[in-house]
Amino acid sequence: MSAVLHAHPETGPALGVTTAGKPRRALSEAGMRGRWWRFTAILAITAVVLVPIMVTVLLAFTPGPNSTATGLTFENISNVFSKTLAGTWLQNSLVTTLCTVVVSVAVAAPAGYVLSRGRSKAVSGYSLLLFVMQSLPIITSVVPLFILFANMGLVDNLLGLTIIYVGSTMTVATWMMAAYFDSIPISLEEASWIDGCSVFGSFTKVVLRNSLPGVLSTAIFAFLLAWNDYLVAIVFLRSNEIVTLPMGVQSFFQQNNTDWSGVMALAVVMMLPPIIVFATLNKYFSVGGIGGSLAGR
Amino acid sequence: MTSTTTQSGLARARRGLAPGGPGGGGSPSTTNRKSRLSAQTTRTFFWLLIPSVVLLVLIHGYPLVYAGVQATHDGNLIQTGNFVGADNFATVLSSPAFWKAAQFTLWFTIVGVFGSWLVGLGLALLLRTKIPAGGTFKVLLLLPWVVPIVVSSTAWNWLVATPDSLIPSLFRNLGLGTPLFLADPTLAALMVMVFKVWVSFPFMMMMISAALASVDTTVYEAASMDGATRFQQFSQITLPLIARSTYISWILMTIFCVNDFPTIYLLTGGGPVDATTSLVVLAYRTVFQDFATGPGVAIAFLMTLTLVVVSVLLYRQIRKSSVE
Repeated sequence: MSAVLHAHPETGPALGVTTAGKPRRALSEAGMRGRWWRFTAILAITAVVLVPIMVTVLLAFTPGPNSTATGLTFENISNVFSKTLAGTWLQNSLVTTLCTVVVSVAVAAPAGYVLSRGRSKAVSGYSLLLFVMQSLPIITSVVPLFILFANMGLVDNLLGLTIIYVGSTMTVATWMMAAYFDSIPISLEEASWIDGCSVFGSFTKVVLRNSLPGVLSTAIFAFLLAWNDYLVAIVFLRSNEIVTLPMGVQSFFQQNNTDWSGVMALAVVMMLPPIIVFATLNKYFSVGGIGGSLAGR
Repeated sequence: MTSTTTQSGLARARRGLAPGGPGGGGSPSTTNRKSRLSAQTTRTFFWLLIPSVVLLVLIHGYPLVYAGVQATHDGNLIQTGNFVGADNFATVLSSPAFWKAAQFTLWFTIVGVFGSWLVGLGLALLLRTKIPAGGTFKVLLLLPWVVPIVVSSTAWNWLVATPDSLIPSLFRNLGLGTPLFLADPTLAALMVMVFKVWVSFPFMMMMISAALASVDTTVYEAASMDGATRFQQFSQITLPLIARSTYISWILMTIFCVNDFPTIYLLTGGGPVDATTSLVVLAYRTVFQDFATGPGVAIAFLMTLTLVVVSVLLYRQIRKSSVE
């Protein structure tokens, strides 16, 4: 597992990176034909693979059965916000996800630093413990947590949901941060100690300040987990004003009568944030981060 | 696990925070400074670790212990009843529903792991060659993995759920009958597996692409000069070189498939007639619909046990492949 979890977020192979840098050789005629043949093949495969996503986008912008509009329209999206609690659900999802991201990084970064720099048996034991915990199925802990949270008034409560998300991201997030800190030379810190900096000071001022890629990939991981979760949400959330987007989308499904225009409009709203995050930050999201992150799902 | 070895190995390599590290033990003043720093280090490390430990105990430790209590007691979500020993496990292991779910989980996992691996491998090999706009395709092909499951399951539902949905109508127009993808037990089981492969292949593609990127292409040139065929190059060079990353991705995908709840639950709800009920779905239903906490948690524990066994077996393969 070490290779996966320890892949370096910056030097590790990032997404969309082609094997550039090789000298370009003049292609023979057959080589050119081969290139275009492969292009056609991959184009066809991609088109088929993306059908469900294209259908979602298309339906979201096509006028619904009771609409007078023609052509492509934003009507469905404005309807879903005016006629349902979509705005509240979106807000619930955003608040929960952002809190999860911030708290996860705030908990994982210091712990990751200790895991990276510490050398006692206790530290490596703790590291192993985190690893074991993250591979256990979440359903095992959901039941006891439900009872605990019910007694504390944290069921049907976004704070309760956030606590569980932070708990389930922190194991992998700590490993990701530790792997990143491993790549920061300790000589940088030593220099700051000579200048009279404390250990905590060198952690925040030297290490953390140089760890933006590591922090970002941890944040993206926490974002995806919290934004996409369905299992924890259906167990812990009850009332219509408290639910997050995944349950909001599901609420459109009624026996024999699904409002497809509405559900697809909300689906498009829901898939935009992860796509935007990926489009802008994908170079920070190494395979290593993904490998580790998904182990918890 | 290697992970810890690496961890402590790295930690050892980075000593210097504690006395006796490299460069330490020189003049008395250095020693003084080192030990002062060491005491400070221990104290700082303690405080830095506290939030993490509290969360681990609250969200992982306590629930695990309590789940152990629940698995050995009768009762329901509101009240833990009397100690019943291994009764819950006996109930679960003697129920046909459990074995049916176990069997489905097994098939779901096998198809999920190898299906997504094969598709991911094929695409990674194809994308490795020079293709116009290759980078764009790489990003586009990640979309099934990036889009939330709730969204993609909705789209799949629209495509296949009723006889008038797009794909069944397409079959009808081609004169192939009207398959009921989510109402026929066999087709529904096949459908969730295909859906799982669709969701997971980008992950495999990324893992394999990363492994392939580190392979030196001169190896292939040497091999083709020695007269190796394309297939020989693939089976003798490519596969062994990506073996380690393959085993790792198999372990991870096995964990994802066995623990997977939304992919199945959102598409079929476990039906029709329990045909797509996996162990997680069964555990969820046992606890939150039948309110039988003990048996539900017992199922979760049995799943965990299986996962540990599979992970250890594959983990040994990783060790072997990295030695060779």
